Amino acid sequence: MDEINPQPKSLSGSQKIIAILWLSFVMAGVATVVFFAAIDPEALKPCVTFPEVSRSGAYTIGFLLFWLLTASSSILTHYFLRIDK
Amino acid sequence: MSKNEPAKKQHLDKDVEQSLYAKRQKIYPREVHGKFATLRIIAVFALLGLFYILPWIQWDGRQAVLLDLPARKFYIFGLTLWPQDFVYLTFLLIMAALTLFFFTTLAGRLWCGYACPQTVWTEVFMWIEHWIEGDRQQQIKLDKSPMSARKFRIKATKHAAWILFAAFTGFTFVAYFTPARDLAHRLFTFQLGHWEAFWIFFYGLATYGNAGWLREQVCLHMCPYARFQSAMFDKDTLVVAYDEKRGEPRGPRKRNVDYKAEGLGDCINCTMCVQVCPTGIDIRDGLQYQCIGCSACIDICDQVMEKMGYPKGLIRYTTQNTVEGKPTHILRPRVIIYGLILLVFASALAYSLATRVPLQLDVIRDRNTLFRETNEGLIENVYTLKLVNMDEKAHEFKLTISGIDGLQMKMEQDKIIVEGGDVVDLPVRLQADEDALKDRSTKVYFTLKAVDDPNLEVSEEARFVGPYK
Ligand code: SF4
Ligand code: SF4
Repeated sequence: MDEINPQPKSLSGSQKIIAILWLSFVMAGVATVVFFAAIDPEALKPCVTFPEVSRSGAYTIGFLLFWLLTASSSILTHYFLRIDK
Repeated sequence: MSKNEPAKKQHLDKDVEQSLYAKRQKIYPREVHGKFATLRIIAVFALLGLFYILPWIQWDGRQAVLLDLPARKFYIFGLTLWPQDFVYLTFLLIMAALTLFFFTTLAGRLWCGYACPQTVWTEVFMWIEHWIEGDRQQQIKLDKSPMSARKFRIKATKHAAWILFAAFTGFTFVAYFTPARDLAHRLFTFQLGHWEAFWIFFYGLATYGNAGWLREQVCLHMCPYARFQSAMFDKDTLVVAYDEKRGEPRGPRKRNVDYKAEGLGDCINCTMCVQVCPTGIDIRDGLQYQCIGCSACIDICDQVMEKMGYPKGLIRYTTQNTVEGKPTHILRPRVIIYGLILLVFASALAYSLATRVPLQLDVIRDRNTLFRETNEGLIENVYTLKLVNMDEKAHEFKLTISGIDGLQMKMEQDKIIVEGGDVVDLPVRLQADEDALKDRSTKVYFTLKAVDDPNLEVSEEARFVGPYK
């Protein structure tokens, strides 16, 4: 059924940004869930010197860091797969 | 396949190209009523109703569904899940994915048309828009008109209503993770925590952006499901399709004339199906990946057919095989396989939930000293036992040990009582006669058993270390 799913020839800039941010958001969500299911941020307290944050704070920061990571990876991939016109 | 296929495909490609290069044109879907529209309204009310009401339902003196992240416990009605129960979540997600595959193979984009949050929230946002800005014609007119006090007022009202609804959505989302009543209280006394405020804002913004502004763009360019769903399609999958044989050649005509004699098909080319389409496509061009299967075009076309006095179903749910005049099979290998895998996962989940022991024991050896010799000449190892009572109520436990002949256990307290949902650290010393040790390191077993419930039992292995042999 390929005829009903033509791959777009090219995406506009904002569509690229959205695709990168959104998919890395999803993956960061998965990573956050897996990570914090295994590790309690309270248990990390003795290992990191960090300003006092609550668990919710740690989850949020963890998620944002994961997002930063996944998004950077997507951006780099996109950059290296670029085809010069 | 018809002979004009290549031409059609070219036309389609051009369309895609255009829609991707061109600046997005706002789509103004016309409002529809009908069988499927009613079905969607029911779905919207059921799903969103559930979403908005669930956090307020109480169970056993606490919120019925609460994924209490700050306390690292998930409450789902009578069930309390701990991070240790993560495997169940994984199971659930796999099952959700399989269910989606199963239904996609059977009935196409049923999910997109009726259940996807994107569809459901967009629907509500469109109701609000319709209610404030008026119907399709009025919306188009308003957008074309130059800015005026009236236009500004209408637009501002719409966005205010959207934002209010989005904020409530964000609030509800966070209420699944921190108790709703508390959260509401803190919201109205301006005492929200930073993180709560952040997530309410974030989720609210996402709702406003996706359902208010992006809409079909999400389906066309952002949704992973939309990209891979066609892999699950076959010729027996239910899709929304236009009956080309019956409809063509399309064209306007007067009512009550014998259009067949004039060589016309049933399609009167009123373009209603295009006007109602939320993704702005023409279903008469054939099956397209942009079609989210919302069936708005079916509803509207049926109404047109009724007015014209023609039989309904010029656009209808059907399968490619039926359209081609071949028989349709419901039970086919991939349906059966998806169904079987789903069944296996569901039974495994049910079984493991039914036999789940809400008790956990971790044994940690003292890190500082390997062993020491007591005054009586026995070898002693020190452990810390971590007891997690994942049950709702308190239990008294009995601890027994095995693994070495004549192994003795020394504890500070003589009764082990752990409250429901509590974690207790228990220092334990084990002593053994050196002659009973055959190796430098021997396996020992701790068994914890509830006094009042024989099913509540766990065992944990540990090492007992002695001098070199
Ligand atoms: S295409 Fe994706 S976002 Fe759109 S309705 Fe379907 S699942 Fe939802
Ligand atoms: S073509 Fe019909 S079913 Fe498909 S998205 Fe448009 S209105 Fe909905």
